[in-house]
Amino acid sequence: METSLTPQSLGQRGLLSDIRAFLAIIRREWTIFIRYPSWIIAMLIWPLIFPMLYILTARALSGPDGSGLAVFMKTTGATDYIGYIIIGTTVWMWQNIVLWDVGFALRQEQMRGTLESNWLSPTWRFSYLLGHTGPQIVSMAIFVLITAIEFGLIFGVRLNGSGWMLALVMLAAIPAIYGLGFAFASLVITVKEANAFVFLIRGLVMIFCGITFPIAILPEWMQAVAKWMPQSYLIHAMRTAAFSNAGVNELLPDLIPLLSFGTFWLVVGYLAFIWMERRARQTGAIGQY
Amino acid sequence: MSDFAIEATQLVKKFPARPGTGDKKTEGEAASSPKKKRWQFWKKEPKALFTAVDGVDLQIQRGEIFGLLGPNGAGKSTTIRMLCTLLEPTSGTARVNGFDVVKQANDVRRSLGTLLAGERSIYWKLSGRENLEYFAALYHIPQPIAKKRVEELIERMELKDRANELVEKYSTGMRQRVAIAKALLARPPILLLDEPTLGLDPQAARRLRELIAELKQEGHTILLTTHYMEEADQLSDRIGIIDTGKVIALDTPAGLKRRIEQKEVIKLEVTGWHDEIGEKLKSITGIENLITRQQGEADLWEVNMQAHNSRTAIPRIVEHISGNGTRLVNMNIVKPSLEDVFIHLTGKALRD
Amino acid sequence: MQITTLSQPSLKTQLRSLFVIARKDWKVFWRYPLNAVSNVFQPIIWITPVYFMGKAFSTNGQATGFAAYSGSGDYMSYILLGTVLTNFILTVFWGMGLALKEDMDAGVLESNWLTPVSRLLILVGRTLTSLLTTTITSLVMLGIGAALFGFKPTGSTLAAFLTAIPMLLGLYGFGFAFAGIVLLMRDANTLIDVGSFLVQGFSGTNFPVKSLPYWLIPVSLMLPLTYGLDAIRGFLLKTNTLMPINIEIIILIVFMFVMLWGGAQIFYRVERRVRKLGTLGQH
Repeated sequence: METSLTPQSLGQRGLLSDIRAFLAIIRREWTIFIRYPSWIIAMLIWPLIFPMLYILTARALSGPDGSGLAVFMKTTGATDYIGYIIIGTTVWMWQNIVLWDVGFALRQEQMRGTLESNWLSPTWRFSYLLGHTGPQIVSMAIFVLITAIEFGLIFGVRLNGSGWMLALVMLAAIPAIYGLGFAFASLVITVKEANAFVFLIRGLVMIFCGITFPIAILPEWMQAVAKWMPQSYLIHAMRTAAFSNAGVNELLPDLIPLLSFGTFWLVVGYLAFIWMERRARQTGAIGQY
Repeated sequence: MSDFAIEATQLVKKFPARPGTGDKKTEGEAASSPKKKRWQFWKKEPKALFTAVDGVDLQIQRGEIFGLLGPNGAGKSTTIRMLCTLLEPTSGTARVNGFDVVKQANDVRRSLGTLLAGERSIYWKLSGRENLEYFAALYHIPQPIAKKRVEELIERMELKDRANELVEKYSTGMRQRVAIAKALLARPPILLLDEPTLGLDPQAARRLRELIAELKQEGHTILLTTHYMEEADQLSDRIGIIDTGKVIALDTPAGLKRRIEQKEVIKLEVTGWHDEIGEKLKSITGIENLITRQQGEADLWEVNMQAHNSRTAIPRIVEHISGNGTRLVNMNIVKPSLEDVFIHLTGKALRD
Repeated sequence: MQITTLSQPSLKTQLRSLFVIARKDWKVFWRYPLNAVSNVFQPIIWITPVYFMGKAFSTNGQATGFAAYSGSGDYMSYILLGTVLTNFILTVFWGMGLALKEDMDAGVLESNWLTPVSRLLILVGRTLTSLLTTTITSLVMLGIGAALFGFKPTGSTLAAFLTAIPMLLGLYGFGFAFAGIVLLMRDANTLIDVGSFLVQGFSGTNFPVKSLPYWLIPVSLMLPLTYGLDAIRGFLLKTNTLMPINIEIIILIVFMFVMLWGGAQIFYRVERRVRKLGTLGQH
């Protein structure tokens, strides 16, 4: 092929090139991630110490003779309070990490000054966000695995149900959790103090979704709010899948709302991106710090 | 009380270097020392050092404007930071207003007004006035005097209309003016201005230079660093040229230019330049310090050289240039400027 | 012509510097209103799951298991007090630790260090504001928490308040040392995150130290904050204390002196090092 400098450009658009660009983004993100040594703390230590706060509180609440525990088991129907809690905290951490990671992905580029360079390339722009989720999902999977291993080894937490069902539930949650992240990413570019919004959203998950308690214990109005949050269904489904021999049928009442919300948030996330992109082209906000 | 406003004797500053960036000598030491065995972990390996300032001597008279000129990385900022007590010298001494920069640091700070890093040196979440009132207190200016002084400076720096707005809303020029006002608050005898006109538009830069001249009239001693030749030339009573950590020349602007007076500078504009032509030109007798610079993206090159006798050199130059696709577009013979002095002394251009 | 300087240092101007620094921090703090609001609501958000979890362990509103450890079934009052301390811990770790670093990044640290005021004095000035704003946000948070979850102090507020003083001063003394260390590090976030979390965990902010596995309890006993919080709860809620309250108070006072002096020493040392290495203003 001739490579003389004729105006016919060397870059040719097509599905293959978009996929290649997508993979390139994933590889770049992963490379950058492992170059910061603090990832060890993020991946190995946090999965252990964050739930510990609640677990130790639960231990205190059960009392020196474990009498409180009997009450807990009656209220929640769970026999393994540690497993019960770590599912809730893991879901919270997942949403938290996605909000920060995916949410700030574009903003980070904007601050680094590389957003413009990326924007100028002819790749389908949404792939930047999609690209960010690739390595993110992989690292979350590792995170969950490490949590399971650490708690399995140290506290003897055991899966009573099917690992596959658990994985299925988490897969079904991806659209909701990441859809929210995408919507967030577009918001972050336009708003200056986006931190406050992360605190708000993760605060809502913390309060309403039953991370350390059954939703049934909440007052009526709070239960109503919880019904609108996909994370509530995720937590409930994960607990069901992990600790009872549930099959797909038993999980459907949770999976269906989870997937519906997921679709909703993905659509919202995509639309928000389009809106932000158009606005940025009009106001030139892309290059600004 | 020392006669000089600022006096530095053999100031040296060395930093621990990352491998590969250290001075050849210390890197050599580090590399050639016998590798310690793993179990001898308590023995320290000699560290590689990078010398930013390598024995600088300065004597700045009271009431003068002294320009410190040099390219990036020459050691200007490091020298200034040692003088204003932010950095401790590795060796050597410096006295500012008669006070030792290490042993009498607070007295030095009281005597100095500094402008470093312009707009980043003030609080963006405070108003212009609040910034000045804050720093006035930190300079130990008694409150009633401080109030008057702040108003005086707001007036002088033309900030009156927006003095109560947050600095984050100001333009770069306004922020610079607040930073300058901050430097002038305690009416210090000595001012240290680091690249004061960097980033300012031409009009603002001009106003600032006028201000600097006024300040000298009022009796301040000013040490100014810059990499703008014309600015140093115009404002300074004396100039120190610093390169790779050493002062390589110190004189009045006229004195410096006289150094290469007997030389002339030939400026060429050429298309189709090849490096071999440069070699040929350098071989002409009397031609020195050839520098080439490409003008933007176009195939147009600016070639400067210094000649003892341009009359005899020119025919040879034309000879070497013609042919082989190279064309002489323009030629000028000029008297040397400060930049040429710099090139003469260091063999490189200031704007590298 | 002779220039006469306006700078006239005296005790009065030193004190005024302290005041001016505190005032500057106060102004800047409230000019980030979202941040201030967040400071109040974040702790409430974090203890909500604890509140509901506690309900799952209680019968008729009494957590009997908990009562066996602490001497009182009122776990929410217990935790609310712990949350107030958490607020201070977070402020010291994040606020003090990061404050200098943020100044450095923004470029104003140099401006402050160029003034003829002692650098430790600058740190002390920032401490004052921090103490004040955190106390305010904590009290508001306590008020809201009381309305939502119930707060029933049955003991002496004055004694609790007086106990808080040496504890907080000691904590801030530690903050001096920490600020110095953060200045030296390039990426301090992880250190601050993990550090503050561990301190919260081990000083009994969320659960009685006695309920920890026996091999972890010594770690808690090494933290002076454990005794401070314990004593305050003892005074306010009449819970059982780890050691006789008088002894705990003595520990606190010793801690305060040691930390204030030690922290200042470390800060001076670090600050000297920064001047040698020139990491100021570069990042």
